[in-house]
Amino acid sequence: MRHLHLKSFLIVMIIAMGLIQNVSSQSLSGKEIVEKAYNRETGEDQTSNLTMTLINKHGDQRVRKIKQFRKDFGNIEKSIMFFQSPADIKNTSFMNWAYDSEKNDDQWIYLPALKRVKRISSDSKSDYFMGSDFTYDDLGDRKLEADNHKLLDEETIDGKVCYIIESISKDEDYIYSKTITWIIKDSFIGFKKEFYDEDGDLLKILFIKEIKEVAGFLIITNSEMNNVQKDHKTSMILEDVKINTKISSGKFSERMMTRGI
Amino acid sequence: MKTKKIILIIFLLVNQFAISQNIDINGYVRNYTGILYDKGDFSILQNTLNLDFTKSGNKVAFKANPILYSYNTDSLDFRLREIYVDLYFKNFDLRIGKQQIIWGKADGAFITDIVSPLNLTEFLLPDFDEIRRGVNVVKFDYYLGNNTFEIIWIPNFTPTKIPAVGSIWYIQTEFLLAPTFDWSKSEIIPSLKNSEIFFKYSALTSKVDIEIMGGYTFDDKPSMHKNLLLDTLGNPSLLIKPEYHRLFVSGGSFSSEIKGIVLRGEAAFYNGKYFQTEDPFAIDALVQKDYLHYLIGLDFIIGNVNFSTQFIQETILNYDNNMFKEKTENTATFLARYNMFRETLHFELFTYIGLTNEDALIRPKITYDFDDSFSILFGSNIFIGDKKGRFGQYKDNSMAYIKLKYSF
Repeated sequence: MRHLHLKSFLIVMIIAMGLIQNVSSQSLSGKEIVEKAYNRETGEDQTSNLTMTLINKHGDQRVRKIKQFRKDFGNIEKSIMFFQSPADIKNTSFMNWAYDSEKNDDQWIYLPALKRVKRISSDSKSDYFMGSDFTYDDLGDRKLEADNHKLLDEETIDGKVCYIIESISKDEDYIYSKTITWIIKDSFIGFKKEFYDEDGDLLKILFIKEIKEVAGFLIITNSEMNNVQKDHKTSMILEDVKINTKISSGKFSERMMTRGI
Repeated sequence: MKTKKIILIIFLLVNQFAISQNIDINGYVRNYTGILYDKGDFSILQNTLNLDFTKSGNKVAFKANPILYSYNTDSLDFRLREIYVDLYFKNFDLRIGKQQIIWGKADGAFITDIVSPLNLTEFLLPDFDEIRRGVNVVKFDYYLGNNTFEIIWIPNFTPTKIPAVGSIWYIQTEFLLAPTFDWSKSEIIPSLKNSEIFFKYSALTSKVDIEIMGGYTFDDKPSMHKNLLLDTLGNPSLLIKPEYHRLFVSGGSFSSEIKGIVLRGEAAFYNGKYFQTEDPFAIDALVQKDYLHYLIGLDFIIGNVNFSTQFIQETILNYDNNMFKEKTENTATFLARYNMFRETLHFELFTYIGLTNEDALIRPKITYDFDDSFSILFGSNIFIGDKKGRFGQYKDNSMAYIKLKYSF
């Protein structure tokens, strides 16, 4: 009898702990979930080869190849991209310093024809990156505080339990009226995202097609942005991903922009 | 004809060598055809083959950039625009060979950007990589954090190339008397004494990018030493001796972003530059004056259109009224750029506005990329305003042009 009491007690405790855990995760606000997704550990530095394929409605493809490096310096995240193809932009490089504070990013471009590193305005976050379906904001430069985030629901997609978050820009003139993001509950990694235009119509859908574990970190290695209004899509594939290889801080400099990889 | 064959054979051999050595080869083939609005004459019929051979390594790299121009006549112009070797060390780099050096923050103006001389045979119309002449240079860069200290040594002086007599860009200077030219002093003999030296400090920071430079150089344009001579009968004649003079130049530039707007500035002080004068007491009709050249510019985005505007001033200090050149010359530039259809259709309007002489060069162009390799460009160069002005003097050279380009 006593034995039964103990067993019942343990069962009750396990259920209670499960409930507490569930209540605790359910109690996360939309902003907290997005914050966890934004601050998800991806290593101190990362190197990768990016292949971006632009595909129009006729199936015609334009391919861009980029070698990229990123390093977290605490309050600043520095990244540098070296364009390798197509031929007319080969050896062009682009450097971005993103700040945790409200300060605008610093951006520079090196055009081999001009042989000069030129500071450019970072006030173009809504511009599309190299003619693709990704804006600079879509590529991860957007600040957490730029939107109001609301937890709408939870949904299971492909066996993954996801939070569904609605984000509405605080800037009324922003190109998206809202975005809806599916964030995997146990890893806080984005899985799918819908972008709605200024009229509230669905504009684009981002699909995460592959997530790989590299050096203990979850990295999105294959994604596709689909513009449903223009019937145009962009595939992004990351290869040769290397994490925490102690990239020198000198990599993110004028010297490297002009010298190349 | 023989020379052409030799050049082509060398090209083929170099290509074979490059392929066998696993050297990167890029470049383009371009057709450039321009037609003058006034007369309907072709202002240019040019075909270009530009090759870029590069080999990059961790410690050593090299680049060779031969370029071949074929013109409407049977002429073939071969240039080795750049050929240099890079040596990389932990904290410093060395680049030795023929190269183009570009300094400053200005667009379309040459203020502290005086290391590589210009090729002005087609005025300011060529692309900026084609308007500069490569020079033999030893370049040393030392890096300390985000700071770069650069020293440049140019053993042999290369002047700015001016349009040849007969070119539509050649401006005939008018003299009261028929001049005789003495070119004996127009060449600078390569020697240690005649070499040029420049230095630059630059820093790229989160708040501002700055450059501070100095140079002991030659003025890239010759000064015209004029002498009035009398023969035995007392008849006057004019003797002109073009001569390049030494010049000390110092200056700097900066750029910074303030609320999405990039603010740029650049200034250079030229110590003791020679100017033409009518002062009867002046030796050789020349006078030395200090000279200031500076600009302030803004880059900003409205909607999806990129804008850039600059105000440029050239001022002669301690001016005297006998001088030919005006004391102050003001120029403005304006640039608008817009891309459509996923960056396949590009609109651009660049304009120089001569504020002093009320003239302008207006350069609209539209480029369409058929694919990642092949593009077509339609453009126009429109010169308007006072014929005394830098741009108005080419009023008869307004043209439309087309460029077909295949990049590989």
